[in-house]
Amino acid sequence: MATQPLPIAPVPLTVEQAEAMSQRQIKKHHVAIMLLHWFNAAVWLFELATGTALIASPYFRVMPYWYINMMTTLFGSRANMLHFHIAVGILWVVVFLVYGIFGFRTYLARQILGKEIALDRDDFRWLSIRALRILKKSDEPLPPQDSYNAGQKLFALLVYAMIPIIMITGLIMAFHLVSTAVVGWAVVLHFTAVGLVVSGLMIHVYMGAVFPEEKPAFFSMITGMVSELYAYRHHFKWWKEVKMQEEAWTHQFQGGSGSTGVASPPLGESAIPSVAPEKAEAKRGSPGMFRRIFRSPEYWPPYVAGVGLGLTLLATFVLMGQGLGASGAFTRYLVAILAWVAPHYTFHSSYWSNYIQPGQSPLIAFLTFEIFGAMLGGFVSGWLAGRLRITVDKGPRISRRTRYALAIAGGILTGYGARLARGCTSGLGLSGGAVLAFGAWVFMLGVFAAGFGGAWLMRRYWL
Amino acid sequence: MARYAMVTDLRKCVGCQACTVACNSEWAVPTGFARTHVHPTGVAGTFPHLVSSFYIAQCNHCDHPACIEPCPTGATYQSADGIVHIDRDLCIGCGYCVEACPYDARYINPVIKKADKCDFCWPRVQKGLEPACVLTCTAHAKFFGDLEDQNSDVFKMVYEQGARRLETSEVSIGPNVYYLGKKEDVDLVFASFPPHRPRLLRAGEVWRRYLRPLVLGAIGATFLGQAIAFFHQLRVGEDEFEE
Repeated sequence: MATQPLPIAPVPLTVEQAEAMSQRQIKKHHVAIMLLHWFNAAVWLFELATGTALIASPYFRVMPYWYINMMTTLFGSRANMLHFHIAVGILWVVVFLVYGIFGFRTYLARQILGKEIALDRDDFRWLSIRALRILKKSDEPLPPQDSYNAGQKLFALLVYAMIPIIMITGLIMAFHLVSTAVVGWAVVLHFTAVGLVVSGLMIHVYMGAVFPEEKPAFFSMITGMVSELYAYRHHFKWWKEVKMQEEAWTHQFQGGSGSTGVASPPLGESAIPSVAPEKAEAKRGSPGMFRRIFRSPEYWPPYVAGVGLGLTLLATFVLMGQGLGASGAFTRYLVAILAWVAPHYTFHSSYWSNYIQPGQSPLIAFLTFEIFGAMLGGFVSGWLAGRLRITVDKGPRISRRTRYALAIAGGILTGYGARLARGCTSGLGLSGGAVLAFGAWVFMLGVFAAGFGGAWLMRRYWL
Repeated sequence: MARYAMVTDLRKCVGCQACTVACNSEWAVPTGFARTHVHPTGVAGTFPHLVSSFYIAQCNHCDHPACIEPCPTGATYQSADGIVHIDRDLCIGCGYCVEACPYDARYINPVIKKADKCDFCWPRVQKGLEPACVLTCTAHAKFFGDLEDQNSDVFKMVYEQGARRLETSEVSIGPNVYYLGKKEDVDLVFASFPPHRPRLLRAGEVWRRYLRPLVLGAIGATFLGQAIAFFHQLRVGEDEFEE
């Protein structure tokens, strides 16, 4: 039986070792924890959205009035919004109480408070080195971490301290408990506790959703698994623990015949028995599928994208009563700016005034929001596939400056043409074409003809 | 748009508290509290020049109410006709407005545990009725009406007969309850019951001084930190992580 001690800190891996480890998945989160996490995330989303809109007083207000008015309109009345806020809050309290009561002994007290989020000496060193690194004062390697790193632990401690405050003050306000003075204190404590969590939450969301090195942590909240390589590099102490458990398991059930040689590179020969092949296979399963589809750096086949676009178009017709569009949104942005800069001109222009209705901003339209959704979707797609980068797409022969000039010239032509045709490729070509508008098909023929000719004329700039 | 106001003629008021009783019964005000209340000034001056009058306390529906700003949920609001309302669905009973009112016109209703005060009997006014206190006043000393209607009683009393607002050089927020009467009577009432400066609950003070800077500082610091990290990430580009 292999008895070599596990290393104290991660040792450099060879390419093959890293490859092998990246293929193996280790279970990080229980399904219940993942469900609780996303339930909690949804609650925070709803509660922050309604809570910040409920604070209307000039004295406490944090959100601009347009947001408060928008949310009020969305809920019909501010009272409805308050009732929703309270109902979701109570659901949150109940779920967490159940979790806290039934899981207190085995889970909350021992596992989480006592072990998973308790800071040890390595954590303090980790924090100080992190801080020094940002100041470029240190290039020491980071000390090995448990299943949660010191930053995550700090955030967890903050959250565990603040959640009871938020819950209790929320209940006091919702049911006007104890006395007026207590409710008065509850208001400011509620705001303070939420504000402090939000300050940490921003980092939490950023780390999970945007920061490249922690992407596996984000996906582990969906699949429950992380690659062994990630565990090895980021949560070494936890990895070691898992390995020791596996070793004990193998020793017990397979009489110590576990080591097959391929699996455990960082420990020399055979300190860590490999996971049996069929077991590893079973563990992989779904994350592999998810990865292949969403995380591949390659683009999807255009046919799939076409079907997806068609379904999206159908969905907007069903849900919004109108199709997709792009240039209309920009027209509306422009009208909003015009109405602000030169209201007299805008209101009396026969063209621009079409977009203005009394008492309503020209920005309140599906298209003006759709554009942001499209940007967000593109961002998520690029992020999932690891394509995020500031870059200028251009042909190899032209300079950046030429590229910018051509883009602006083309943009002006496109905008002008879109207004001539009363729609762009999305608004007229796609949405109009989908409802068999004659103008749309004529327009598309024109687009293809001009595009065919234009591409030939402009080929030098791209090839 | 109307601009509602109330005038009390101190020459007629006899301090009978009929208005208090009418109001309490109209709006089910719990015992020991009141939306409006008559306070005697006591006797002042030296014989034979003695003065005595009554102060009728109620919500003044000020032009610039001090109670709206500290209300966290926006439950206290002013409609365009000047009436300051409380939306009971939104009120959480925190008491910030009660502290803020310079005229102490508000109280926390112990039954519903929410703030309560005079609303010029808005539900009655909507139906074309007079406020309960005006209707019931035994001496016909109270008047209610629209200051923008030149034929109204209150217009004449305020703009022609010189009814006065209870204001001081310190607290001048445009109350819309006026007092009419002999100068020495009105002066005595105003001197005996001056409005106090709007107060902030201790909790609100702590929030303003310590908690808000703490929260904003924490959020600002983390936001700045991650913004720097994000731009760094964009500039450097991403390495496909470890796969």
